[in-house]
Amino acid sequence: MNVIETKELTKVYGDLVAVDNISFEVRKGEIFALLGPNGAGKTTTVEMLEMIRKPTSGEIYLFGDKPNEKIKERIGVLPQEFQSFERLTVRETLLYFSSLYKNSVDVDELIELIDLNEKRDELYKNLSSGLKQRVGVAIALVNDPDLVFLDEPTTGLDPSARRNLWEVIKNLKRQGKTIFLTTHYMEEAEYLADRVAIMNKGKIIDIGEPNELIEKHGGKPKVKIWGINELEGYEYKKMKGGIEIVIENEKEISSIISSLDAKKIKFERIEIERANLEDVFIKLTGRRLADESNN
Amino acid sequence: MRAIIKDFELSIKNWYRNKAAVFWTVAFPVLLILIFGAIFSGGEQKILLGIQDLDNSFASKAFIENISKIEIVDVKIIKADEDIKEFVKEHGAALQIPKGFQDALINKEEINLTLYLDPSKETTNSAVRTFVANVLNELNIRLNNGRNYIRCKEESVVSKEYEYIDFFIPGVIGMTIMTSAIYGSVEINLKYRKRGILKKLLTTPLKRSYWIFAKMLYFLFLAFLSTFIIVGVGKLVFDAKITLNLFSLLTIISASFAFTGIGMLIARFVNEEESADSAASAIIFPMMFLAGTFFPLEMMPSYLQIFAKILPLYYVNEGLRNAMIFRDFHKSLLNLAIISIFAIIVFIMGTIITKWEED
Repeated sequence: MNVIETKELTKVYGDLVAVDNISFEVRKGEIFALLGPNGAGKTTTVEMLEMIRKPTSGEIYLFGDKPNEKIKERIGVLPQEFQSFERLTVRETLLYFSSLYKNSVDVDELIELIDLNEKRDELYKNLSSGLKQRVGVAIALVNDPDLVFLDEPTTGLDPSARRNLWEVIKNLKRQGKTIFLTTHYMEEAEYLADRVAIMNKGKIIDIGEPNELIEKHGGKPKVKIWGINELEGYEYKKMKGGIEIVIENEKEISSIISSLDAKKIKFERIEIERANLEDVFIKLTGRRLADESNN
Repeated sequence: MRAIIKDFELSIKNWYRNKAAVFWTVAFPVLLILIFGAIFSGGEQKILLGIQDLDNSFASKAFIENISKIEIVDVKIIKADEDIKEFVKEHGAALQIPKGFQDALINKEEINLTLYLDPSKETTNSAVRTFVANVLNELNIRLNNGRNYIRCKEESVVSKEYEYIDFFIPGVIGMTIMTSAIYGSVEINLKYRKRGILKKLLTTPLKRSYWIFAKMLYFLFLAFLSTFIIVGVGKLVFDAKITLNLFSLLTIISASFAFTGIGMLIARFVNEEESADSAASAIIFPMMFLAGTFFPLEMMPSYLQIFAKILPLYYVNEGLRNAMIFRDFHKSLLNLAIISIFAIIVFIMGTIITKWEED
């Protein structure tokens, strides 16, 4: 079953087409990532799905229905750059937000689940940015939603806080929740997402599993061997200090190594290079994912 | 309903944990009254007593001369053809020596002097009363061996006059409600928008009208708090002749709602933080000075007086003064009606015209 479905979704501001005729679906129980640089239209898209903005045209279906007030009980949202009330404690914050819903989870259990127990009575403003984001995720879960939207949840976090939050998000999937994630970090999409939609300039360029996309657009893996000039029996390309062999699959690596061994060829170093989503993005758009201006 | 109570609770917590906000809500109006009150209340050390001599005799003149020699009293002679009550309204206390004073003394007959007092000036009245009683007592001892021939009856002159502090306190209440509700609701909106809280709330089932209502309750709480502090300080420090009655409380409720509504509208139409602040100030300051907060409207040129009458704060000030000082409940009800209608209009505009949803 599809939890989200959009058809020809479009949002226009004056002359700017922020979201340009996009159609996709998100399946129940998956982590779906919308990957793209800043300004690609990710937030506009997610905010239309969250019922914060109205589409200019096109259709949205959430749990098979058009957006309506009742659906708000079933979704949980972490808006981009969200900062909660400065002078409420973690527990008070969660109690406040849970009071807004008909059904809500036990706040103390939620604190336990998101691993905020030690900070439950700490004022929000005194938390580190990593913990603040974790509280933000917890707020998005107070109503035990079936669908969770996380808009750039790890932007501005240090690497360890980012990894920490990734584990929290993986955990949500284990609980059977569907997660819609926007990010401009390709590692994040690659690590977390079951499926990725690559977005650029308001359009979705391609959708698929990360591996699928890499295989499709990133080209084949390459074996790079330094310290030799040639290798018989293989199609190779010379590069500075060594050669480069394009392989079909990872099994070929062992045959290359045994061939080097058999011929007693001495080499300095061997490396396998696989494409990643960043390469896919460059291939598809000619731009880098992380703009210098973003970070 | 649960959401409204929770939201109210949240605002209060956020407020009392913010030391600066508490200081300004509580201390600013108090400072204002203390400063203005001190400036405008001239310290009266001596007892001011008017004396009207209707006997115009040797004995009455001697009596007045003797009283004038006493240092703690400042005697003003009221001419026989002047209205003694007018003097009392203005200055507080006057003693009238009746015709036949000298004859009564000579014949050892009973005679009544009349002490006119303004009951609203009770603190000085007791001093005047004691003073006059002592003077007459001494006279009785000397002339009549202590027999009480010369007596004094008291008459009240109710003064419609009020002192500056009485005029000022309702003005400070109106002004405080206005500034805290307008600035406060603009600030909450901008802060919530900047922090993504408004967006977050949009994705929850919370209705916008409930949210606005919860904020109105919060600013009403602050309004009552400031009012009680202002009235308390006014009464304790300046002995202000004001009362908090049903009409003044109703006026405060609708004023607080109306100004919160104005703040919500400003915040909706002005997005930038600084421009919203300036827009709020542009509405607050002219209103503060032109709506009769610090001085009576009659002191202003007539075109400004006409202008003042389109300002909501004018009706708040008028309503509060009519209720708190003059106890003119007809006028106060009229002002209350105007503010209430205004509050309802802004609330409806606030919930219908403005929207949380973004473009």
